[in-house]
Amino acid sequence: MLKIENLTVNFDANSALDNVSFSAEVGKITTVIGANGAGKSTLLRTISGLKAPKSGSITWRDSELVGMRPEAIVRAGVALVPEGHAVIPELTIDENIRMGALFRLRKAKSDVTTAIAEMYELFPQLADRRKAPSSTLSGGERQMLAIARALVSRPEILLLDEPSLGLAPLIVKQIIGIIEELCRKSGLTVLLVEQNANTALDVADHGVLLALGKVVADRPAKDLRADVSLREAYLGY
Amino acid sequence: MQTFLTALFTGTSHGAIYALVALGLVLVWRGAGLINFAQMGQAMFSAYIASTIINHHINYWWAFIVAIIAGGALGGAIDVLVIRPLKKKSGSSILSSPSMRDAIPVIASLGILGILQSAAGMIWAGEERGFPAPVSTLGLSIGKRAMPFTRFDIFVIVLIWLILIATTLLLNKTSVGLAMRASALNMEVARLSGIRTRSIRTLGWILSGSLASVAGLMVAPATNVSPNSLDLLMIIGFTACVIGGLNSLWGSVTGAFILGLTISFINIYDAPGDVFLGIFAILIAVMIFRPSGLFAKGKARNV
Repeated sequence: MLKIENLTVNFDANSALDNVSFSAEVGKITTVIGANGAGKSTLLRTISGLKAPKSGSITWRDSELVGMRPEAIVRAGVALVPEGHAVIPELTIDENIRMGALFRLRKAKSDVTTAIAEMYELFPQLADRRKAPSSTLSGGERQMLAIARALVSRPEILLLDEPSLGLAPLIVKQIIGIIEELCRKSGLTVLLVEQNANTALDVADHGVLLALGKVVADRPAKDLRADVSLREAYLGY
Repeated sequence: MQTFLTALFTGTSHGAIYALVALGLVLVWRGAGLINFAQMGQAMFSAYIASTIINHHINYWWAFIVAIIAGGALGGAIDVLVIRPLKKKSGSSILSSPSMRDAIPVIASLGILGILQSAAGMIWAGEERGFPAPVSTLGLSIGKRAMPFTRFDIFVIVLIWLILIATTLLLNKTSVGLAMRASALNMEVARLSGIRTRSIRTLGWILSGSLASVAGLMVAPATNVSPNSLDLLMIIGFTACVIGGLNSLWGSVTGAFILGLTISFINIYDAPGDVFLGIFAILIAVMIFRPSGLFAKGKARNV
């Protein structure tokens, strides 16, 4: 279980976190929704170690993540797909994927080869152009590559920051579908941050609503989806 | 014709040495985002160490290997002992502005250069020492014909091309190379991929220090070794990077060969006194027409 307790983060005025607590169950999809500037990205960046919190604790399977370096957190099985199709455009598609598995080469070389092959099966669009620079990919393909880069490290929990941002609905459906399948079939734990609340709540088991850095609702996704007044108040639709 | 060929070979061999200096600078620039002005100070220091070893009548090649290791160790030590602690303090007020954050490590590298030169002055009494070459630096003749190059020219060109090819293979074909490129291009994504970017950066410093040491040893038979003997090499190597584009590895190497040939041809056909004028002319032309370097993609940085 990913457990976040009394997490307070100072950032610029409108995307801080104020005493946030919730937890994400293993093998389930938990989504964090909220308007722009609610602190969703800050939350994921703090879990990944890119931002240091002012106070509070983040534990994954009973080990404390606060104070660990981002590269160590990845090695502990917590992988982040940051906002905005985070790939390295100068590197080839294959290099971007391999990059995510470099740290496992020494201990599990054969599994790395398997994992890379699995990524190409999962995202066949990428398989035909392995040697092409990833700058040649479309936005949706870049997002797939960014997810593949994270998945190839064989994380136990995947943190996704706005995977649907700027993508066509059909692509969003494909990407969300793949994430859902990974969760249901191989037991991957997912923490999904989304501005597009309906898409996220449709696939999620549990939903957390953030507003101005505070948790205002923490319920099963179905209940949250049905609560029209809450959504109107905080999301505007 | 003979004169032309002499200029060509001398230029290529000197260009190769500048290329190593430039490559060292580029490796640190791409990894750590700073121009390491101490680089040739490190090389000078390791050349003194090599010279001490040779003076004890130990084989040249042992001295060569020790110098490469010493250069690398100095590079690594500078990163771990000076640059890392400086980065850690980035929360303090003087480092809060981005321009200061970029400038301070560069100033630190100038300070390290001063320390290395003074230390060399203290340890070796600042004496100018001759330095041997592993093969003859005198004119070579095959049969009765005098060749336009020396054995040493050929040695330098071959050795350095092997090093350039090996470095390229290391960066492009190995896992460590991929980690180095990823860390240089996008540190955040690299860290999120589990790459230990700090260690990778130190590796860049080590590699750069070793390359600079080789360059120092190759130029030392001509310049001798003294605390300031490699300053000129640093200036030319840096100019080569600016001409070729600091972000482009092969651009900087090409810039180095352009400079090597220019200097050599001016030396032979014109007068040695005009060498700096020539370098300056090229530099200014590049700064006017291609400010980010001849081979750089992307835009120049606003300074």
